[in-house]
Amino acid sequence: MSGGWRIGVDVGGTFTDVIGLDPDGRSHLAKAPTTPEDQSEGVLEGLARLAAAAGLTLAGLLAATRRIVHGTTVATNALLERKGARVAMLTTEGHRDVIEMREGLKPARYDLRMPPPPPLVPRHLRLPVRERLRADGSAEVPLDRASLDAALAAAREAGAEAVAVCFLHAWRDPTHEQAAAAAARAALPAAFVTASHAVLPEIKEFERFSTTVVNAYVGPLVARYLMRLDERLRAAGYAGPLFIILSHGGVAPVEEAAARAVATALSGPAGGVAAAVALAREGLGQELVTFDMGGTSTDIALIAGGEARLGRGREVGGERIALESLDIVTLGAGGGSIAHLGPAGTLQVGPESAGARPGPACYGRGGTRPTVTDANLLLGLLDPDHFLGGAQKLDRAAAEAAMAPLAAALGLTIEQAAEGVRRLVNARMADGVRVATVRRGVDPRAATLLAFGGAAGLHASAVARDLGMRRFAVPLFAAGLSAWGMLLSDLRFEVARSVNAAPEEVDLDALFAALEAEARARMAACHDGPLTLTRSADMRYGEQVFEIPVPLDGCRDAAAVRAAFHARHRALFTYALEEDEVVLVTARVAAIGHLGEVAGRPLPAPPLAPGRRPVLLGGHRRELPVLRFDALPAGTELAGPALLESATTTILLEEGDRARMDPRGWLLVEVGP
Amino acid sequence: MDPITLAVIDNRLRAIVEEMGEAMLRTSYSQILNSSRDFSVALCSAEGALVAQADHIPVHVGALGFAVEAVLARFAEIRPGDVFLLNDPYHGGSHLPDLTIVLPVFAEDGARCFFSVVRAHITDVGGATHGGYNPEATEIWQEGIRIPPIRLGEGGALREDLLAMLCANTRIPRDVRGDLMAMVGAARLGAARLQELLARHGRQGLLAAVAAILDLAEAHARRILASWPDGVYRGEAFLDDDGHGREDIAIRATCTKQGGSLHVDLSESDPQCAGFVNSSYPNMVSAVRMAFAFLLDPEVSKNEGAFRPLSITARPGSVVWAEEGRAVTLCTSHCSNEIVEAIIRALQQACPERAMGGWGRRFRVAIKGRDPRRGRGFVWHLFHARPGGGASSAGDGWNAAGEWHSAGGLKFGSIEMAEVRFPLFFARHEFRPNSGGAGKHRGGLGCELLLRVEAEGPAIANTAGDGARHGSAGIAGGADGLPHRYSILRHDGSERLLRTKEAGVAIAPGESLHILSAGGGGWGPPSERDPAAIAADRREGYVA
Repeated sequence: MSGGWRIGVDVGGTFTDVIGLDPDGRSHLAKAPTTPEDQSEGVLEGLARLAAAAGLTLAGLLAATRRIVHGTTVATNALLERKGARVAMLTTEGHRDVIEMREGLKPARYDLRMPPPPPLVPRHLRLPVRERLRADGSAEVPLDRASLDAALAAAREAGAEAVAVCFLHAWRDPTHEQAAAAAARAALPAAFVTASHAVLPEIKEFERFSTTVVNAYVGPLVARYLMRLDERLRAAGYAGPLFIILSHGGVAPVEEAAARAVATALSGPAGGVAAAVALAREGLGQELVTFDMGGTSTDIALIAGGEARLGRGREVGGERIALESLDIVTLGAGGGSIAHLGPAGTLQVGPESAGARPGPACYGRGGTRPTVTDANLLLGLLDPDHFLGGAQKLDRAAAEAAMAPLAAALGLTIEQAAEGVRRLVNARMADGVRVATVRRGVDPRAATLLAFGGAAGLHASAVARDLGMRRFAVPLFAAGLSAWGMLLSDLRFEVARSVNAAPEEVDLDALFAALEAEARARMAACHDGPLTLTRSADMRYGEQVFEIPVPLDGCRDAAAVRAAFHARHRALFTYALEEDEVVLVTARVAAIGHLGEVAGRPLPAPPLAPGRRPVLLGGHRRELPVLRFDALPAGTELAGPALLESATTTILLEEGDRARMDPRGWLLVEVGP
Repeated sequence: MDPITLAVIDNRLRAIVEEMGEAMLRTSYSQILNSSRDFSVALCSAEGALVAQADHIPVHVGALGFAVEAVLARFAEIRPGDVFLLNDPYHGGSHLPDLTIVLPVFAEDGARCFFSVVRAHITDVGGATHGGYNPEATEIWQEGIRIPPIRLGEGGALREDLLAMLCANTRIPRDVRGDLMAMVGAARLGAARLQELLARHGRQGLLAAVAAILDLAEAHARRILASWPDGVYRGEAFLDDDGHGREDIAIRATCTKQGGSLHVDLSESDPQCAGFVNSSYPNMVSAVRMAFAFLLDPEVSKNEGAFRPLSITARPGSVVWAEEGRAVTLCTSHCSNEIVEAIIRALQQACPERAMGGWGRRFRVAIKGRDPRRGRGFVWHLFHARPGGGASSAGDGWNAAGEWHSAGGLKFGSIEMAEVRFPLFFARHEFRPNSGGAGKHRGGLGCELLLRVEAEGPAIANTAGDGARHGSAGIAGGADGLPHRYSILRHDGSERLLRTKEAGVAIAPGESLHILSAGGGGWGPPSERDPAAIAADRREGYVA
């Protein structure tokens, strides 16, 4: 099936985007409303629409598909909205407050009036188990069955949907955790059970416990969802692999993603970052700021020198996740964000969103509160008859009715209120870009704003202007760019072993050979294509407590490993202490399974006669030309103000903007003065 | 200056100090730095004005400019490649354990534009007792080695003779050398990043931006002050004792708020003490600035500009401003915390919604012994069992978040890591129920720690702290939190209470420390507490 279809599926807060590359390398985009109660319904509907657009049946399309890659926001939403599972935490007796103590640290040093966040597992569900390992792995207190049974009874009594097993020193020896996890599975057969040694087999209890508790919190929802999706796909005729994109931008087989749900916390936006890296490589520029504005939220990331940043230990919804992940800033505002009056009587937009249901008031599905999309419609920036290619009629009267009370409260006309909502959301977007760039010490003005997601095109010009950025770009795939990016991601995982010894005390060849064999075996289960293995180690001087990652490919002996560490330390921190004790803490092998080059061009849309539409911009009513975005021939040059429309997105060129359609598939806009 | 450039430079300066702090954390050798983060970094102007600082230890930060001033006063000629070091509280330092590296930064045209500053708490600086805190000291020479500003390095290289001299004056030379290298490394990293910024914006452009940033912070602080009612407000706070028999030592603050200015007068505070609770001058100024900063909005940049509306008077020879030669080592904790407490108590009348319940007092224990597994000596400092944070108008206090002087910035570090590296066994480490002060909003809980010491032969504990008699202050009608209670559980079943200031307490192998740390102060009358919050306190065991 080497020539089959490849499909990327991105579930956003409002729409589910499906991109399919047909066997001839042409790409097709379909959108369906996201179905929040069960996202797999929307995914199947999107696949059905894709099949219809390609003139196939759903079964025919799936039978001809050799790979589906999927990004999901189930974990992210559960964390942000605090709607995860009821978790019981089994933990070492005498140490049940680890996740709430947060190592004594509180963010925002000079904000002493910040109330503490409620812990993900309340104290009465952090259940002590009598057991205790020492630092060398020996048992100071053997695992006490009676206390374990009592804890499990309490968990069952409380109706726990997930159990997190978090014991001290499980990084050294997992046997107590394994026994407790097995007992938990037997006692609570319906619960999602996870143990810290399996989620993050590394020393430092807060990082390990917090990551494990997050895994338990989102695990039941994510696992249930992924398994249901997998079943539905099988039932609909799909026989190939289903991959899930993870927070670090690589993909993993669905079973692995379900067991390590915490690794999907940034799955949704990861595809967009992967796509941006690909566009940078194709020549869009080495410095990009991604601006992925959907219906519910907006994701912003920095591509510097053509690469996306990775880090460990980020927080999502205030919870520490010590896994490798992309550096993405998420704002709780998008096209569906609701405008309202704040406590001080001032206009505010978001964080509450109308989401997919009921959606903006103008969708006519029962929404009665005004959203950013309603404001854009009232200003004439959206076409009520051709939104989503005509699939979604927009109801102007409903938008007016929703905006009217807010306008009255502000003492404005409906159109003035709509303009206010637009200006406010533009400023919030610009602030988000500042966090991702300026606050990280990078001047955004030298970068190109890469606008995608259904809603970004109408706001990109204003956001770029606010920041003094001179260029923005909108890819033809704008509305489905994240889904497209997923097709570009490789399989990726890491195997690691903590050794805690001097390089000379370690049989390096045997250690790395064993890790590589393990990596090969795991990869073989889901991939038979080309494979790259890279060696590295986390190392430190004897008295330090933080390790630095040191790439070790090509280092054959202990002396070379030692030299690589000193060199890396000098490069990072300006000095090395070559006489001092060196410790190799954790050896790692990263396995990348290459899934093959994917390009894909959208099918050109039939050209359309340019139209005109009255809009209200900056308090002035004027008539703008409206052009068909996805039918623009390469090389076309345009001057703002103008509107460009495709079935899935609308772009506003403001006064002075000059745009050119690039043959590589994006519109590049020089922002006017 | 266009607002985008200004914002970029402002944030770039913050990114630089954050990067310096991250480098310190990752490279330093001693537990107090790499696990507990007891260090601060800053960028100062050529004259020593604080330009940018990262969110590290609040009580360090208002004092760093004095270090630069002391270097400027001592050295007429400052050249590229110079590295300066000091710790003397009577010449630019706050207390002896805090070593400060000061590195000049030059523009391409040779003009000196900035100083890159790193202050870190060194585990042992000599003196009569291990671990830097000598509760028996009555003069500074018993507290450790005094380092007035010295040129530790020149021409880009450190002077090995001076390094050897410093290492000869500590019980743990390997850690001190590693920590000093980390400090110099972090300071150089900051200098390199500043030079990139100078190259991009030019000297004039960068200095103009810095001036504008300070002015903006000043205007912001004055706007907030202007919203409080004018008046004269008084508050006082008491130290338990000085360790030499004097109890209830008073710190008194008279705060005069007028328009956009605040004057703090501490001159009615008690006379200086025999023991180490006295403050040096820079530390006193820093404590007043810290209290002021806590009452402003978190968004106000904490730089020299933000402190311009603030003026201070105090009396030399008082506990807040000791005469040269007095013992002062505890001052970054005590009497710093009591200076803050007195000011917050005073100003709760002017801005009750901003004033917060008292944060815990520091009660440290340093244990010296021999590790049977590694066959060498160790010194371990207690950072676990943090006291509770104070409640505020916005909600309950943070459990186990610490003291005023660090306000959630001191990390206690991984227990697993501590057990790997030290002969210690943490049998129990959980919240201490009932310890938070009652109030409409409850103070944060302190902790209970049961710690078995497994050293080879007897280990020796020194204590240094306060707050076993006085709890964290309740504010705006809230109650005080429970004070500390520390003891040693002996093999014979007896319990030996620990005083907050004593040296040379032996702990036999296998005996345990039992630590109950203080809760934070409450905010608002307890009668106004929401019944749902009372029920939740019981369900979760915060209140038993």
